[in-house]
Amino acid sequence: MKKKKCSLRMVAYEWRNLNGNFMSHFFGIVFPNLMCLLLSKTIGGQMPEDMRIQINTSIMLSMAMVMPMAIMLLGYGAIYSLEVENGIPLRMRLFGFPEPSLMTAKIAAHLILLTVSFVIFGAFQILVIGIQLPAASSLLCLLACLYLVGIILLVISHSIANICRRFSVTFGIEMSLYFVMMVLTGMMGIKTEQLPRILQRVAATLPMTYIGRDFADFWQGGSYNFMPLIQSFLFFGALAGIMLLLSWHMEGIGKR
Amino acid sequence: MLLRINQLLVKYGDQTALRIESPVCFEWGERIGVIGSNGAGKTTLVKALLGLVPYQGKVITELTPEQMAVHMQSNRYVRTMSVRHIMETILNTRLRKDKELQRLIDFFEFGSCLDKRFAALSGGQKQKFTIILVMMQKAELTFYDEVTSGLDFETRQRLMEKMAEWYRDKENTLVVVSHYYEELEQLADKLLILDQGRVIACGKKEELFRAYCGKAILILENTLSNRDLVRDFTALKSPDHLIALSCADREEEERITSILIRNNVNFKRSNSDIEIMSINAKEAFYEGREDK
Repeated sequence: MKKKKCSLRMVAYEWRNLNGNFMSHFFGIVFPNLMCLLLSKTIGGQMPEDMRIQINTSIMLSMAMVMPMAIMLLGYGAIYSLEVENGIPLRMRLFGFPEPSLMTAKIAAHLILLTVSFVIFGAFQILVIGIQLPAASSLLCLLACLYLVGIILLVISHSIANICRRFSVTFGIEMSLYFVMMVLTGMMGIKTEQLPRILQRVAATLPMTYIGRDFADFWQGGSYNFMPLIQSFLFFGALAGIMLLLSWHMEGIGKR
Repeated sequence: MLLRINQLLVKYGDQTALRIESPVCFEWGERIGVIGSNGAGKTTLVKALLGLVPYQGKVITELTPEQMAVHMQSNRYVRTMSVRHIMETILNTRLRKDKELQRLIDFFEFGSCLDKRFAALSGGQKQKFTIILVMMQKAELTFYDEVTSGLDFETRQRLMEKMAEWYRDKENTLVVVSHYYEELEQLADKLLILDQGRVIACGKKEELFRAYCGKAILILENTLSNRDLVRDFTALKSPDHLIALSCADREEEERITSILIRNNVNFKRSNSDIEIMSINAKEAFYEGREDK
């Protein structure tokens, strides 16, 4: 028996696995589109006709971040914590699948779902709601940010499940994180600037804050100071890495 | 030598789960049965050897963890897909093209279960599923920890027969953990008897039997008349409802059997009864010890 590396077959397995759970699909595909539709009718409806498309674009950029949060944090957390509770990751490791291979396959499968979700989201925004068409560089930038945020959130979700080891506790923590992040990053209708100063500082460490707030400014081209966004990615990524190492240490992963 | 355990100590908090003081060796190709009641340290031993629990002491082996396969007491899989997909992923193969896997599936009569989800399988089918996956690992050292726990008598017996048949011509080293004596009679040629985390005895089945029971034993019902009939012979420790008589040689065996036949007493003869042997090994181990 050899150590098994991540393969297409493993990615297909994880793809089937995540499609067996409706949570990722509802919160990652249906929910952001519904929210955009609702907000574009309520907020956009109060705006003059010529500004409506800009408002819709701004709402879309903010809501786009719901996709990685729902798929990688909530959906993945629900699937993986159930696996941990049932001892499935250990069973897989005993069959020769090292933790990094398992994680890589899980990340790949979830990125595929995120891409599918993004395509549906984009088509819905353009065809149903009506948004400004982006410059190619801005679109790529948004996509890269979605993937990066998604990977970091998945790592955080994975670590929480490894540490808590119970579905109920993990899901409770992740649901709370999800709503706290939505509030802090302006997705619930409260702008980051309206929050108390201490919360603004916390929000400044989250990449979603910058994406939702600033990307509309260069959506159709132009320049943007990426430094705060990059810094927030570095902080958020480091936090996820530390949590992952801690969870591996607590579980004794690596001994086998 | 495949594996040698020196001074192994596993603790869960303050409680000692396993303490092996004298060296225990597993040789290539051996079929080792690990037996003991609940809490004896059987599963802890498997987990320690696989590096799943921290321990003090030394396990000397050339094997890497990848050369070991294990059927744990509880084996669960995702509920979101059919077992066919799980099997193909774990074994990294295509069922349609893998003749060896097809043969094993047929051997265990598992073909009709392939399109079911794991949760929909019966207890026996679930065990068979993991057994197939473990067998396909073709590991140098394979552990089977309580493979038949929770199964009814008939399913248990059929499964063990199948396993014994499959491994008959193979050279893999097996460590079979069980508290069912009859299972180990089928599968093991060497026994490691554990009790309360300590090694009671370890050795070839025949050698242990000879040491603790004699050449053969005769087992009969424990009634007043039977007790009276055999009172002059050496009785071994046995379950309360039975009398087990030790026969040191053929002459003694013939003497006892002729008395039993003459008095129309039903009896069973054995030269490999693991249950009586392990009871007496335990008795000998604790004799004179204060930590009984």
